Amino acid sequence: VLLVVYVGYVGLGAGVLQALERPAEVQAAQHLLQQHWELLANHTCLQGPALQRLIEGIIQAYKSGITLQGNTTSLGRWDFSGSFFFAISAITTIGYGNLSPSTAAGRIFCIVFALFGIPLNLVILNEIGQLMLLGVQHCAHHLEEVFHWQKKASLLIKTCALVTGLLLFLLLPPLLFSDKEGWSYEEGFYYSFITLSTIGFGDYVIGMNPDHTYPVWYKNVISLWILFGMAWLALVIKFCINFLE
Amino acid sequence: KAMCSGKLQTGLLVVGYFVYLLVGAAVFQALERTAEKQEKIAAAQMKEAFLQNFTHLTVPEMEQFMKNLTEAIQNGVYPIGNESQIGDSNWDFSNSFFFAGTVVSTIGYGTLRPKTAGGQIFCVFFALFGIPLNIVFLHRVSKMLSLLCKKLGKFLYEKGMRKKKIKFLTLLFFLATGILVFLCLPSLFFQITEGWSYSEGIYFAFITLSTIGFGDYVVGKKPGRSYFSYYRTLVAIWILFGLAWIALLFNL
Repeated sequence: VLLVVYVGYVGLGAGVLQALERPAEVQAAQHLLQQHWELLANHTCLQGPALQRLIEGIIQAYKSGITLQGNTTSLGRWDFSGSFFFAISAITTIGYGNLSPSTAAGRIFCIVFALFGIPLNLVILNEIGQLMLLGVQHCAHHLEEVFHWQKKASLLIKTCALVTGLLLFLLLPPLLFSDKEGWSYEEGFYYSFITLSTIGFGDYVIGMNPDHTYPVWYKNVISLWILFGMAWLALVIKFCINFLE
Repeated sequence: KAMCSGKLQTGLLVVGYFVYLLVGAAVFQALERTAEKQEKIAAAQMKEAFLQNFTHLTVPEMEQFMKNLTEAIQNGVYPIGNESQIGDSNWDFSNSFFFAGTVVSTIGYGTLRPKTAGGQIFCVFFALFGIPLNIVFLHRVSKMLSLLCKKLGKFLYEKGMRKKKIKFLTLLFFLATGILVFLCLPSLFFQITEGWSYSEGIYFAFITLSTIGFGDYVVGKKPGRSYFSYYRTLVAIWILFGLAWIALLFNL
């Protein structure tokens, strides 16, 4: 039930944000296009200050998530899938920032959305973490019963769980990323860690390369990975903290 | 004796936390600074070449220029202004320190980020140990804040109030002062120092303290503005206590 609420909440947020941000994005893209064509038309008269202004304009547009490509602009940042991904990045507090609301209404909605979404996210992560822990303890119990190992079983299972988690969430995904995104393995690993720890710089973001085509299941699988990976990493960090304290 | 060791522990924790950040800042600076310098020079050269040749440029060449420019911007190099700005670095010590702080607090603005492979790998390990350290540190700070709350509660109890009323009042007081001190007042402050509107300031404060950290607004990044020398340190202290306040809110 909680999962349904969670997905529903994120979907709702995505819809609202899309409605708020899309028109502004279209406007800004048109403005940039205009600038581009004006420059091309007048480039025999281009001078230092004009170039300055053009560059500043491109920087501004880039910060709003628009880049120039040929005769068109890369629109479609605030389509539903983009908004959905943005909503996830907000309530998980990853906050990539490659896409961020530029309208005042979008920002206010973002704040309210996150205010309720972050606790919701924490509750879900806690649930997933508890489920994982239960699963691990069950396995340990079974091993103890079958092999009569006692303490050894618990330690073995815990290290096994740690290693599987490491493989599943940190070591294997970079392989997928280097195939679909064209990143090096190291970049994929860096991206995985920065995402799962919720630092989320936004220098690497999946599914943002306009030259690549992504399969339909890609973003959904990644979202699942983020959810479970975050729960796993949170457990690991909790253990680290218990150890520190 | 127990109280003494508790205070010693806290002291050690505080010192350890800041030492960790300082060391991280130095390492990041060492790893990233030279690469950044090269990129800045390349971008300036590209701009120079463009200015000299634009009258002879064909459309494909213009496209190429736009593409290169976009790439430079993506890498965080803004080729505006003149040569003198190459001297300012994004990776001087105070900026690196601020960066280290955004990593361990998981805010992660992203306006400043490691681009060398060494910097990225160091970042991963730095965060792996830094994030738990940060959580433990914030826990201690929030405990100090909660002691203040308890003192207020005790004061009210001695005045003869019922326990339930006290709990409600202290929570309210805590919430209200926190919102004032960590959200409203800083936004006023940012209006002056950054030139943002009040609502932009609130948006920035919220996005930062929730550790979302989009990076669309970051302190101290406006070119052409002079900030007084301890500005960033002040902001860092605000972030620290603000995060501890939020942590305490969650525990209440």
